[in-house]
Amino acid sequence: MSGSSKSKQSLILLAFVFPALLFYAVFMLAPAFGGAWYSFTDWNGLNPAYHLVGFSNYIEALTDDAFFTDSVWFTLKFVIFMVVLQNVLAVLLAVLIESRRRSKAWFRTIFFMPNMISMIIGGFMWLFIFTKALPYIAEHAGLPFLDQSWIGDPKYSFLAIVIVSLWGGVGYLMVIYIAALQGVPGALKEAAAIDGANSWQTFRSITLPMVYPAVTIGIFVTLNSSFKAFDAVFALTGGGPGRATQVLALNIFEEAFKMSGRYGYASAKAMILFLVVLVITLIQLSIMKRREVEA
Amino acid sequence: MSTVRLNSTPKSGIAGRRRVSSVIVFLFLLVGAVITLFPIYMGVLNSLKTEGDMMNNILAIPRQLEFGNYSDAFEKTNFLRSLGNTVVVAATGLVGIILFSSMAGYKLSRTPGRLSTFLFNLFVLSMLIPFHSIMISLNRISMKLAVQGSTVGLGLIYIGLGVSMAIFLYHGFVKSIPRDLDEAAVIDGCGELRLFTTIIFPLLLPITTTVAILNLLWMWNDFLLPLLMLTDADQYTLLLSTNMLFGQYGNNDWSAILSSLVLTMLPVVILYLLLQKYILNGIAEGAVKG
Repeated sequence: MSGSSKSKQSLILLAFVFPALLFYAVFMLAPAFGGAWYSFTDWNGLNPAYHLVGFSNYIEALTDDAFFTDSVWFTLKFVIFMVVLQNVLAVLLAVLIESRRRSKAWFRTIFFMPNMISMIIGGFMWLFIFTKALPYIAEHAGLPFLDQSWIGDPKYSFLAIVIVSLWGGVGYLMVIYIAALQGVPGALKEAAAIDGANSWQTFRSITLPMVYPAVTIGIFVTLNSSFKAFDAVFALTGGGPGRATQVLALNIFEEAFKMSGRYGYASAKAMILFLVVLVITLIQLSIMKRREVEA
Repeated sequence: MSTVRLNSTPKSGIAGRRRVSSVIVFLFLLVGAVITLFPIYMGVLNSLKTEGDMMNNILAIPRQLEFGNYSDAFEKTNFLRSLGNTVVVAATGLVGIILFSSMAGYKLSRTPGRLSTFLFNLFVLSMLIPFHSIMISLNRISMKLAVQGSTVGLGLIYIGLGVSMAIFLYHGFVKSIPRDLDEAAVIDGCGELRLFTTIIFPLLLPITTTVAILNLLWMWNDFLLPLLMLTDADQYTLLLSTNMLFGQYGNNDWSAILSSLVLTMLPVVILYLLLQKYILNGIAEGAVKG
């Protein structure tokens, strides 16, 4: 009796889950397993015949492909800049905005707005700023440092990508941090003030520990999004000049769909990206979760 | 007299310092806000200038409003068709994600046991897989299934990629709905499907709003997947059509490009200003749980 009602329950469960599972299996699970499989083959995407080649794609990518290894280092550099700058800036904005009474809503609205706009659109608008507006301002306002070859010089194009990514991403983290700050009990801060703590001490000893879980999320979000950065780079530099700003995602995209059509090889690169993101985010989460418990 | 003055001086000193630091904070935020809005402002401003006017005074108010740029952009991007395509993609994805995820999330949350735990983990684990790791294989599969090169097909792919997070959000929310409600309905002779459609689904409205906002923004602003899946200019979404305006070697017609950027950006910005409260809450909720 209970056995049959249990199997009936399972059937109802499957009926409710089936539509989602179907789409998920076809467009998410199958490509995930397919990608892993192709990464061990020499498939070129067209020829139905292909061979298993073991780890040779992985070995080639890591040892014999300067464009790929360059893009790995470039991406790591970008990720480090983004994790630090984006989170520091977002916490700063969140704390300052929360200290305002009447202008709070205005600032929150404005700083979040870039998040609503596609990074492709934002990237193109910034391209206009870098190539047209800043040179004009530099010339007419006598600010020669603005007149850089923002897109043509690797040093400045890195900076341009960081600026645009911060512009597009900081508001999202700011919203997370504001939500965390609003969760800090006002009584705690008042108690600290009565004990004679100044605002920096209160921030360090009360606010920061209380928003620590949000910092875990904030760094996780930034790690994830900046490892996968594509749109801003595509719109601003297209990976150039040369391949100076080719992020990992762009390298994989071009390997598969533009340059060689080596699907197997590009799949191996994609698997490397997946493993790097997985390992780094898992390490980050486990370290930060441990510190959260202590705090 | 003297005690009053002694008392009041340090007080007004602190208040004065507070006021100064509050002014500094305000100025800092103001500068940040100006920088944030600057690209949007420049885009709108210069989209209304002639090419010559733009090059001569890029910062100034247009000498005369040049709406011709907009009709130019309208034509070059085939705006109405691109908008229609974007709406078809987003609507297909949204309906599927909301319907299928609410069903799955509800039942997974209500059913105890190993099967439902396994299925839930199966959905949730894939949130760790970056899109780039599946895009190559997804490209082949969609070609085989003939969903490539179709706006509805693209919407179907978004369903597959979007259900994970939506199920996660629904799953969490359902816990806040009392089980007694289900049981009472079943005792009253309500079938499983009717229970879900008439009683549960309406109660899910707050989380459905969040799911709808997050997914709409994602699909509206996504560039790479449409770039891979849509093969003909007839099917292009707004972003793809705008991207088409860029010449290869920097010979860019900025008047038409900026107009097109403004046209593409406008719907989301208006939506944001109208639905701010829901959007910001939705983002915070989605981020904290996802």
